[in-house]
Amino acid sequence: MKASVARNLPALLLELREEGFSGTVRVSGTPGGTIHLRDGLVGAAETPGAPTATSTLLTSGRIGDEAWLAACAAQPDPDLLGEHLVADGLVGGAELEVICTAAVFDAAFAMSLGAPGGWELSDREPALRARPGVEPRRLTDETTRRISLLSRLWGPPGELARVRPVPGTGVVEGPLSGRHEDILNQVNGRRTARDIAFALGRGLYAVMLDLVRMETLGLLRWETPTVPDGRPSTAPRVPPGRTTAAGPPPVPSRTEPLPRRKPRGGEKGG
Amino acid sequence: MSTAVEASLARFLDSPGVTGVALVDAVTGLTYGVAGDTAEAGDGQESSEFAALVAERLGRAGAEGELESVVTTSVRRHQVLLAVGRPAGDPLLLTAGLDRDRANLALAARSMGDLAGEVLA
Repeated sequence: MKASVARNLPALLLELREEGFSGTVRVSGTPGGTIHLRDGLVGAAETPGAPTATSTLLTSGRIGDEAWLAACAAQPDPDLLGEHLVADGLVGGAELEVICTAAVFDAAFAMSLGAPGGWELSDREPALRARPGVEPRRLTDETTRRISLLSRLWGPPGELARVRPVPGTGVVEGPLSGRHEDILNQVNGRRTARDIAFALGRGLYAVMLDLVRMETLGLLRWETPTVPDGRPSTAPRVPPGRTTAAGPPPVPSRTEPLPRRKPRGGEKGG
Repeated sequence: MSTAVEASLARFLDSPGVTGVALVDAVTGLTYGVAGDTAEAGDGQESSEFAALVAERLGRAGAEGELESVVTTSVRRHQVLLAVGRPAGDPLLLTAGLDRDRANLALAARSMGDLAGEVLA
């Protein structure tokens, strides 16, 4: 493997495609991630920013935990696990490819939202992956399209990834789709798009698109942060129904000096 | 190298008049595979947006249930968007282009509907 002079990650992947590289690219930064290549094609990508194919299969309930554990015990090599899942009838071959391919594109999108970091190449590592894999050029083009579309629909996708929506007050016209209902059940003002994606076993980009659409329909709204610097609130929590009897908590006067600790004059204990 | 999705889609080309077919993510517009003429199958992004728009408008008009199909007909072609049933995960669409001179729309729609249930196998 020759030393890379690529100026960024997309350029590196194109370079590795030309070389027919099979191995792993570890990307630093936030969120960073790991990209698995076979003959230069992207077979899988893992990042803390988006659910993996495995996470999608398990969280959505497509494959039950027990069946998954049994399959992993029977075929411990993740490179061959996909074939085993299909042979056992746990998932269709085309369906598995759809799930693995979607996870690759979603991971690339999630990684593009953070600050770019460096990378290092290493030997191939087994992974549940799409076969034969995704062309790096197509991956880059699709990621650019996704960023561009969300920027047009909402604004910077990196900021959209950080907002924590709350249920809206609008009246729903027509029946609510099951997909939107699932998201509404997750929206509580504390969860980001990433949290919702992991909770539902769905792609981050798909969830962000749905959130934007649902906000337009009035199904949810973006909560305005009350603490500008993002510091968690430390205000005292008062249980409902207890404020009337005790009255509001005392407000310290700004003119009143803080109590000072009196030194004991060098007194030694014991 | 043909993928599992492309191999599955190739069966649709046996239906008379079907010139191109694609499997598309109905939410993201990502195309997972194509068989036949890519241009005839249609753009995944546009197809998914169009299907979502139709479903939303129908919902507002009081229609109940999920959208099953959309057929658009021009002088020479039919463009068919067909929802694909899935055990879990985001919805998928089959998008297909049909040659009007060679296709019987009713038969083609029925045939595609039958095959759609097996496209993820």
